[in-house]
Amino acid sequence: MFVFLLVNHGMGERVWGQKLKNIYFSKAFRRRSMGLRSFILKRIVYSFALILLVILLNFMIFKSMPGDPVQFLMKPWGRESAEVRLQQEQLLRDLWGFGEPFEVQAVKYIRNLLTWNFGTSYIEKRPVTESIGLRLPYTLVLLGGSAILSIILGVIIGIMVIQKRGTVVDSGAVTGSLVLGSLPTFWLGLVFLLFFYNVLRWFPNKGAFPDAWALGRPLAYAVGSSYTSTSLSSVFSLDMMGAWALVAGYLRHLFLPMLTLTVFSVGGWILLTRATMLDAITEDYIVTARAKGLTERAVLFRHALKNASLPIITSAALSFGFILSGAIITETVFTYPGLGAWTWTAIQFLDYTVLMAIFYIVSICVIAANIVADLLYGIIDPRIKYG
Amino acid sequence: MGRVQGKYEFMLRRFLGFLRSLLKNGKSIFGLILICSFLVVALGASLLTPYTPVGEDPFDRLAPAASNVPPVWLRSLPTWLGGDPALSENMMIVQNPGSPGLIADGGEFKLETANPNLSVAPSNISYSYPLPLGYKQYGGGGSLSVTYTRRDGTTGGEVKAVIFKEFDFPYNGPPSSFYGTISLQVNGTTTVSGVPPVDKLKVPIKVNVFLGSIDGRKWPIWPPVENIFYDVRIPRGFTKDRLTGAAGPIERPLFGATVFDNVTGTFIDSGWITSVKNELSTISSTSQQLVNPKSVFTFPNDPARVVFSSARGSYAYGVEIVFVDTGSTEDVSTTVIIDDFGLMLKGTSFGLLGASHRGWDLFAQLLYGTRISLYLGITVAALSVAIGLVVGLAAGYFGRIVDEVLMRITDILLVLPGLPLLIVLIAILGASIDNLIILLGLLGWMGFARMVRSQVLSLRERSYVEAAKAIGAGQFHIVIHHILPSVMSLVYISLATSVPGAVTAEAALSWLGFYDPTRMSWGRMLNEAVVEAGAITSWWWIIPPGICISLLAASFILVGYALDEVLNPKLRLRK
Repeated sequence: MFVFLLVNHGMGERVWGQKLKNIYFSKAFRRRSMGLRSFILKRIVYSFALILLVILLNFMIFKSMPGDPVQFLMKPWGRESAEVRLQQEQLLRDLWGFGEPFEVQAVKYIRNLLTWNFGTSYIEKRPVTESIGLRLPYTLVLLGGSAILSIILGVIIGIMVIQKRGTVVDSGAVTGSLVLGSLPTFWLGLVFLLFFYNVLRWFPNKGAFPDAWALGRPLAYAVGSSYTSTSLSSVFSLDMMGAWALVAGYLRHLFLPMLTLTVFSVGGWILLTRATMLDAITEDYIVTARAKGLTERAVLFRHALKNASLPIITSAALSFGFILSGAIITETVFTYPGLGAWTWTAIQFLDYTVLMAIFYIVSICVIAANIVADLLYGIIDPRIKYG
Repeated sequence: MGRVQGKYEFMLRRFLGFLRSLLKNGKSIFGLILICSFLVVALGASLLTPYTPVGEDPFDRLAPAASNVPPVWLRSLPTWLGGDPALSENMMIVQNPGSPGLIADGGEFKLETANPNLSVAPSNISYSYPLPLGYKQYGGGGSLSVTYTRRDGTTGGEVKAVIFKEFDFPYNGPPSSFYGTISLQVNGTTTVSGVPPVDKLKVPIKVNVFLGSIDGRKWPIWPPVENIFYDVRIPRGFTKDRLTGAAGPIERPLFGATVFDNVTGTFIDSGWITSVKNELSTISSTSQQLVNPKSVFTFPNDPARVVFSSARGSYAYGVEIVFVDTGSTEDVSTTVIIDDFGLMLKGTSFGLLGASHRGWDLFAQLLYGTRISLYLGITVAALSVAIGLVVGLAAGYFGRIVDEVLMRITDILLVLPGLPLLIVLIAILGASIDNLIILLGLLGWMGFARMVRSQVLSLRERSYVEAAKAIGAGQFHIVIHHILPSVMSLVYISLATSVPGAVTAEAALSWLGFYDPTRMSWGRMLNEAVVEAGAITSWWWIIPPGICISLLAASFILVGYALDEVLNPKLRLRK
């Protein structure tokens, strides 16, 4: 995800801070007179308009792409005559509405997307919604898990660094975080693969579960039957061995991609925590707290972190919007069967229906994350008043 | 005049002061040194390595190394670290293939004759080097000619002449393949006048190029069938010596001897009999099969491993020419002209970083990759910062409808999934480096535009802007002379911090297979290593490009970070 965070926003604490300020101190926030409800309403209406615009843009991008979609849908030319073939093409054209005027197509397209009808994948010949349902869990666990892990680790390390500010530890941590953030994710993944798979053989190199599971997963439940005086009933009991094998199988496959993503993104969180904490500890109330004779720990955690946590929490909410976008590279390195690897395959075969769906969903995620971030900011920070 | 000079002096002093405060920062020194060294490497790549990063030949026949081999220093590494003492290196056995002279003439070859028929003295073999002018010279400084002369009308039987070079093979393991070339031309002369050129070659020859250990085991390598020699005859359809048509002893080369392939029974070549340059290289460990214009032939084993099975030792490479003199009693002679006679051994290790699966030097690829990354990073940064600056200034200063429209466009672009969009556009437009730069630039300005806008929003309310308005300054004047200078610090920082993003984005795209096929970049190296060659265990191939990408990215980030600290004094005070 952060490749594009880098492209779009640059890196470094100042830039991060600036980005946050742009979002949180935007015009909407500065209108103190607005009530919370009307503010939320306005945000939602605006987001909806944004979604419509994104859909339109999506439509236009894919509409202007080369290649006739009918050719994708047609079977390879068999023994039928050219006339029959043309007829078939015309039938398909009518069926899918390719002959209709632009605005009719656009309205249909918007209606379909809004009702989660993404059509059928050219390659898989299966409804796109169904395929997304199959793959989404993997991506959510991988990307969401690593996001949570890196946020927690980053905040903890950031606070540890702040206690040693101005020392070698501090500048070392800052430099280290900057370097970590600039590593190419896929290369990091390759190095982990080389070390943990090719040299040590500790972790598998691809997939989300052992190959043998393609035939049948281990059962977490043992199904037995028991006779009672009246009837025969099945008894389900938890099979500890099976459950353990199931969890271990998934976790072993999850470890390397998650490690890659976490190592890559933890640097950004360290920098953000350090920057916001630095802002906080120069405030007057910290001086007051110190003057009261509080321990450094109490000052840092109860006074500084509480106030510094605002941008961290909202930034975390924002980062979840980029989850899908960031999945592509890591999932291709580890052949993880999530949405990212699927997107890559779709791009290779120019499977437009899949790509359109992915674009749409990613955009919605980002928009939703923005709304959540806005709301969180309003709810957490008592200084922001809407009415 | 004085004022202008003073202005420049001030600017210079301010710049020096800025530089001084920048150089006080350890991070920025580190970053600047890194950037400078990358610049030096990028500019001097062609001086630092003799090899090219990618081949122009689509079949990569001229690649300098064998396919997917480790670096040479792996030989001296202990085995527990992955070293392999059996690795061999590239060897040019014949230094000067274009001018194959004998040692006596300052060349490299030896000539030996052995004559099974004792009644004919070996002296009926003579040689000359270099050939007198008038002969076709097949490249290089000259050709070697070996002449058999029938004296006193005595039929000589089979007379053998061997031209060879002895060499020491110093490595513990065999080479991965060998690569040899030879060109031959055969001419016949006769003292009988009026003989049409077709009949001049009274003594046909057989040719056998061999490679083997010195104890006598010779492995025929060309013509590519063991124990089958090529008959060399004069061309068909060559009816008259058109140059003179004169009587008397004719001493004139017959350009156009024909090789008679006694396997297929056809004539296969005319003119110089040339072992097509790459023909011999394909008798190698990689293909084990040779496709000759007329005959298909397979070696039973990996020939390099068979020939060099005893590894370290003395070997010989040469050509055996047998003059088959079974004809009538007139005095005739046959001359064989040899040129382009070379042998190169491709080792099982190569260069500082090994070679790719196509046999190209990885070190050269790494050096030339610097060029692409630096060029792309800097141009993309400049492009996106320029767009962002213009959009931000316009939105911030003009406000109202301009602001609304520009910011909504920015919002949409921020919301669109960057990487997938980029990949789709690249897949459609084609992955040339220019497309990449334009797309990365067009999709990377939004964050910076917002930054500039928010800065300009507060700047335009300042009193000096008010004052400028009051004295009637135009909007353009105000933006350029009063607003722009205040956001320049942001520009510098953003220039530095958006380079790494572009570099890593290019690497990521190349990794996914969307690279410019005419150039070698670091991302493409990784793609070729893992996806094309499947060589993830070749750590000498995988590790260096990634380190280079992150070092380059880190150097720009460090400089940007240091710039930030220098240009925003508030940050400095916080410590």
